[in-house]
Amino acid sequence: MDFSAAHVSYVIAAYSISAVCVIGLFLYVLLRDRALAAKLKQNAEKDTL
Amino acid sequence: MQQFANPARFLKIANAALPYIWSITAILFAIGLYGALVTTPPDYQQGETVRIMYVHVPAAWLGLFIYCLMGFFSAVAFIYRHPLADAAAKTAAPLGAVFCFLALVTGSFWGKPMWGTWWAWGDARLTSMFILLLFYLGYMAVWSSIDEPTRAAAIARIVALVGVVNVFVVKFSVNWWNTLHQPASVIKMGGPSIDKSMLWALLTMAVAYTMLFLALHLVSMRSEIAARKLRQARLIEIGNR
Repeated sequence: MDFSAAHVSYVIAAYSISAVCVIGLFLYVLLRDRALAAKLKQNAEKDTL
Repeated sequence: MQQFANPARFLKIANAALPYIWSITAILFAIGLYGALVTTPPDYQQGETVRIMYVHVPAAWLGLFIYCLMGFFSAVAFIYRHPLADAAAKTAAPLGAVFCFLALVTGSFWGKPMWGTWWAWGDARLTSMFILLLFYLGYMAVWSSIDEPTRAAAIARIVALVGVVNVFVVKFSVNWWNTLHQPASVIKMGGPSIDKSMLWALLTMAVAYTMLFLALHLVSMRSEIAARKLRQARLIEIGNR
């Protein structure tokens, strides 16, 4: 890719926003899954006591 | 299909498949991005701006595909009343909304240098895609605003099925109306009109996005099953008081 070409800032902006959204979505989904799994485990431990 | 409808069996299969899906996704993204940014040539008219295509087109395809999937799961939930079908549609919605949003934003970044404008309300493809995003947001609003899951599911199914009509409008808008947006150049009669030197990277990125969606969807469904178990436990606890 030629970084000195015309309109290259639009390409960088498009890839940057894609990366931010995809990584954000990835983190949101994974962290929510971990939090719910931990809560479920905590509930199961509470029930066995 | 019925085999996957059991939550315990679904979780077993999903947990076993996820490491492979994540690995394939990472490899495809590495190959796809290398192709998109390094090996593919610039376009003879658009120059380097054409590289936006490798993130814009897969996001748009997924935006449409995920909504079709939501329509399919909603139809299955309507016919078979299976709660996992509703969970599948519900968890697909935020993922589809993000891809739809990305298609609109990256499209704007492509439109400004090529058409001279960020947005055109008169363009059927742009406007119908924006309406699709509103359908996604509406569907998610139904789930988050109604506390009773059975009632929320019944209304959400209708929203999903009505919205499928708009997916066809998005797809064929460039054929039905004379728009700023170019007509289809990959999925069309007579085969793709994109040169092979660019097509392979586009298809690799499209498969990478799809695999990413598959992985995120499986994780989201696992979370949804956990959330439902917690809700059930809470209700039992309240009932025992």
